[in-house]
Amino acid sequence: MLNQIAIIVADGILLGLIYAIAGVGLSLVLGIMGIVNVAHSAFIMLGSFFAFELFRRLGIDPIISFFLAFPVFFAAGVIVYRVLITRVELAPQTQGLVAMFGLMVLLENLGTIAWTTDTRVITASYTNQSILIGPIVLANVKLIAGALALLLIVAFWAFLRYTLTGRAIRAMGQNRSAAMSVGVNVRQLAAVMFGLGIACAGSAGVALGMVFPFSPNTQILWLAWAFLVVILGGLGNVGNTLIAGLVVGLIQTAVAAFMPFDYVYLVLYVLLAVILVARREGLSRAARRGI
Amino acid sequence: MLSVFFLKSSERGGWRAWVGVAFWLAVLAGLVLYGAFGTRLFILSTLGTVFLYVVLTQAWNILGGYGGYLNFGMVTFFGTGAYASAMIFHYFGLSPFLTAPLAGVAAAIAGLVIGIPTLRLRGAYFALVTMIITFAVQVLVLNVPYTQGALGIYMEPVGLTPLGVERLFYFLFLGLAVLVTVVVYAIEKSNIGWALVAIREDEDAAEIIGVKTIEVKWVANAIACFIAGVVGGLYAQRIMYIEPTGTFSFDISLNVVLMAVIGGPGTWQGPLIGAPLVLLVADALRVTFTSEVNRVIFSIVVIVIALFVPGGVMGMLEYWRRRRKRAEATSVAEERVS
Repeated sequence: MLNQIAIIVADGILLGLIYAIAGVGLSLVLGIMGIVNVAHSAFIMLGSFFAFELFRRLGIDPIISFFLAFPVFFAAGVIVYRVLITRVELAPQTQGLVAMFGLMVLLENLGTIAWTTDTRVITASYTNQSILIGPIVLANVKLIAGALALLLIVAFWAFLRYTLTGRAIRAMGQNRSAAMSVGVNVRQLAAVMFGLGIACAGSAGVALGMVFPFSPNTQILWLAWAFLVVILGGLGNVGNTLIAGLVVGLIQTAVAAFMPFDYVYLVLYVLLAVILVARREGLSRAARRGI
Repeated sequence: MLSVFFLKSSERGGWRAWVGVAFWLAVLAGLVLYGAFGTRLFILSTLGTVFLYVVLTQAWNILGGYGGYLNFGMVTFFGTGAYASAMIFHYFGLSPFLTAPLAGVAAAIAGLVIGIPTLRLRGAYFALVTMIITFAVQVLVLNVPYTQGALGIYMEPVGLTPLGVERLFYFLFLGLAVLVTVVVYAIEKSNIGWALVAIREDEDAAEIIGVKTIEVKWVANAIACFIAGVVGGLYAQRIMYIEPTGTFSFDISLNVVLMAVIGGPGTWQGPLIGAPLVLLVADALRVTFTSEVNRVIFSIVVIVIALFVPGGVMGMLEYWRRRRKRAEATSVAEERVS
């Protein structure tokens, strides 16, 4: 019994770390820039296929892809920002929402054209191995993906906390016009910020692809998880997002231990509804919370 | 001096408005005539689908267009209605023609379940949850024993010739489309319509002047979901066999958003323009491309419209009208000066 609980907890934590990086980019973009990036999960999906293609064609290990994905998706994010976001940033939020929705559908279907709707897995040399820590059996991939996720989150947190750019980003999140008036180049910084959000999505996609099977048309699932993490953890706060991710991961493994996996979605929605009713605050107010 | 322009424009506006109404009535008369005398199955069935989408898009328009709260999962409520009707038929043998209102009620309840937590809040929560929930509902319908999962539910055929069936649904959906358009028009001119527009423009200000924003959003959403459910129930009867993947297909949600955005959200004419435009183009494209390429094209259209023509076709017409009016106004002013 105790063993089982230990396994559930360990599994939940590793899963939670992965959920946390799926959510962190969304949380920051939403919290600091106020952009509802519904295309976030589409970039996660592209991240998974990025690792898949590199592994299949060039034999590059997903661990390396994880680091390669970051700059590649950063560039993609900056391009999306320049082309799309700058035009809808000052418009009503619904307009941006429609544009990002269009982007999501576009990416998903480009993915379907390129890779079909078949479910894919990345089978690296260590995929089916596991190690024994005391009584707990842990899959190597989950350990590796979890460690990478933790690394990314800590790096992100440190970046926002200690670097000048990070401080400027936080300032922008707290008060955009005040940040502008003290000489922060808000537009350039917003591009960087959005790029970082997408870069997180890309790397998260690689980590997800190591652990889970994936296909272009199930990406919306990841939006659900990422969104849940964001709602639970609040916006724009890396530490809280991490905790929220862990909580979601633990809930999922606990629920999955007692029920068929499909019912996890029901639990997920009830949880979402409860949090939304309990918190009773809109995005704009939450965005002003401490970063 | 300004009052002169106001007088002039209002007179002319009245005259033009009658032309608009006459245009739509002429279109309606033409459609009724075709429905009564046309014999080509393909055209009747395509137009029937167009009317079905007009109804759905009008429903979406209530909260999405006027209120600015986007529902990215219209199919959830459509599918709920379809399954409600189909299950009532399956277990109790009642025809969907009778139970369509019940299907609407089921969908409205689903709408409240989703709306009550999310519409309390500002911003994009509603949009995100409606987008995600489709997938969850689909999984649920696939796995709950009562819905027969992936097996689906068969309906009893209507005892008519194929042409008769198509004609029946043609007029059914046409009638619903007219009815719902009238309802939306009435909402536009009513307090709820103004309240929704106020919410879209500035929710804080709306609340300050006394709009019960949360309740208005709930009601608007429930009405929209009810309409979607009714259509869903009739749709189940029309295609006579429903199963989870097709009934909860994301394509339907996408189409509805697309039609509203292209036609012009927040106007009663928008869906009347958007639905036929998108469906007929899609039908033409389907001959040459796969559905993925189709969606790629349409998603690009959505992005372009969101970036450059936020008002869709109606927005463009409005823009031209204003520009012409301004040009007229300046020419009148110049005459006066000279």
